[in-house]
Amino acid sequence: MQDAENKVNNDSLVETSDAVSKIYEFGYLLVPTIKEEDLSVNYGNIKELVSSFGGEIIADDMPKAINLAYTISKVVSNVRSKFNKAYFGWIKFTMDSQKVLELKKHLDLDPNFIRFLILKTVKENTIATKRFVRGETYKRPKAKSKENEVAVPINEKEIDKEIDAMVAI
Amino acid sequence: MKQDYFSANNIKYIDYKDVEILKKFINPNGKIVSHKRTGVTSKNQRALTSAIKHARFLGLLPFIVK
Repeated sequence: MQDAENKVNNDSLVETSDAVSKIYEFGYLLVPTIKEEDLSVNYGNIKELVSSFGGEIIADDMPKAINLAYTISKVVSNVRSKFNKAYFGWIKFTMDSQKVLELKKHLDLDPNFIRFLILKTVKENTIATKRFVRGETYKRPKAKSKENEVAVPINEKEIDKEIDAMVAI
Repeated sequence: MKQDYFSANNIKYIDYKDVEILKKFINPNGKIVSHKRTGVTSKNQRALTSAIKHARFLGLLPFIVK
């Protein structure tokens, strides 16, 4: 009997957790044929689209032109097009899990995207740590090189003196 | 790398967009470096692998380098 009760409780939990919105991240590649001026329009449209599906935007980044690591091909209405460049952008939002599927179906039909990826993620900012790490790694070699520069002229004088002494002998 | 890179740098979530970090864990051919060589904990290695694969899908990292 207790087991049965537990099952009922678990079921109710599952139902409630379905309704609770989760945090997602939507990363996308936009077609490079879009002009730089029209990029902000596309960016605004994506934001509007996400919020139209009941998504609350947590963080996002403007699409930026990148060189792709490999050639991506996409077939649109029987025409195969190849891409070496694209605009990469991402947006982080909270949304109901069932609405996300609808969003995905909608995005599948959009010809502006080369590819996109919807992932579950965490609310915390995941990029801030990277910049901190980068700063640390860049500072160390600079400090070392300065020390070397200071050390070099002293060594030269000493060497000159040593050479003079050798010549005198 | 004997110590876990991610716990040493206090990285809790391995992000597929952090290409600079992910590049440390692929070899010159573009393959993912094995768990034995990276010294990353099993849990982080699994997260790292999926992050690299997501980055590859979006063209941020190569599948192979010839």
